[in-house]
Amino acid sequence: MTLQRNISEYISSIAISLLMLAAAHPAAAQRKDTALKNDSVPLFNGMAVAVDLVGPVQMAIGDYGQYEASLRVNLKDRYFPVIELGVGRADYTDDVTQTSYKTSAPFGRIGIDFNLLKDKHDIYKLFAGVRYAFTSFKYDLGHPGVSDPVWGDTAPYEAKDVDCSYHWLEFGIGVDAKIWGPVHMGWSLRYRKRASYDDGRLGKSWYVPGYGRSDGSAFGGLFNIAIEI
Amino acid sequence: MRKIIPIIAAALLIVSACSSIDCPLNNLVYTSYDIYGADGRRDTLRDTLTISTNRSDGSDSVLINRDTRITGFSLPMSLSHPQDVFFVEVKGENSITYDTLTVSKEDLPHFESVDCGPSFFHTITAVECTDNAIDSVVINNPNVDYDTSKKHFRIYFKHRD
Repeated sequence: MTLQRNISEYISSIAISLLMLAAAHPAAAQRKDTALKNDSVPLFNGMAVAVDLVGPVQMAIGDYGQYEASLRVNLKDRYFPVIELGVGRADYTDDVTQTSYKTSAPFGRIGIDFNLLKDKHDIYKLFAGVRYAFTSFKYDLGHPGVSDPVWGDTAPYEAKDVDCSYHWLEFGIGVDAKIWGPVHMGWSLRYRKRASYDDGRLGKSWYVPGYGRSDGSAFGGLFNIAIEI
Repeated sequence: MRKIIPIIAAALLIVSACSSIDCPLNNLVYTSYDIYGADGRRDTLRDTLTISTNRSDGSDSVLINRDTRITGFSLPMSLSHPQDVFFVEVKGENSITYDTLTVSKEDLPHFESVDCGPSFFHTITAVECTDNAIDSVVINNPNVDYDTSKKHFRIYFKHRD
């Protein structure tokens, strides 16, 4: 864990350093004149709906994933309040332990993105954002039965509707680019931090809708297709 | 700028591929017994202690075999029986005494991860014993889990010469 944390901190510091370098890049200076023009953009400058493609791909090739969509409001091309709603699902049986885990539940996130580029009207946008996220879910646990090593009989190992809830924060960076007309494409990388959680009466949960695997990495990513409305 | 973004993405995706699983090494949890004398103080059992139980197929299983000069011992719990019955043999220099120890409990499946083997935790609800060599048994901590520092029972033996 310590090694992983050290690597995470190292990568994070590199990422921050690179971002600072990017801010000083000559290309940014070329757009300086545009940025200094008077800002005539209205406070409310449109909305965009987006769907994530990473979750469905995860679901298609793996045993868990999520479908999610977001609504993002554009305030002066600088601030972007956002709501993200989705449904996360897992249906997995481990071949070795023969333990199965099944859940399906909605989740939601609310937060805001900030456009970091000096030329905030550019068709490219670099975002830094924060989210508060929540899900309440139930999971089913299954197993063919555990052989008692001392008494010799088989004990049932299963549970239905184990109640859990998660509150967490997400800190992320992302990019967004106008592809054609109202169509945008972009990705964001997220660092998740659990704020509070209830893993249920059995000890722990495995897949948390919207959060991912509870024993997995704190980092995750989204790839969005968005349409301005 | 456009060269840097893929570098950041690649670096963070590499980090995101890491995961950690902390599966316990042993899926079986044990109850811990501390031995006390008739005067209520921690004691060392100088006699020879043997503890066994009946398996579900009717055969015997010896759990502690002729231990001497002990201040405590550990016993497993069944995964699904409402009561575990242990047969306690205390062998002195000139005599052998037998007692029966009955532990009532509730079993709860414990889940760490689908990658970890299944395990059970238990809640002790009652304990009874015969009173030949044993004076009494008291529940000290009813929750049986991976915490091996917990002392679940205090077992008081009668004074023996």
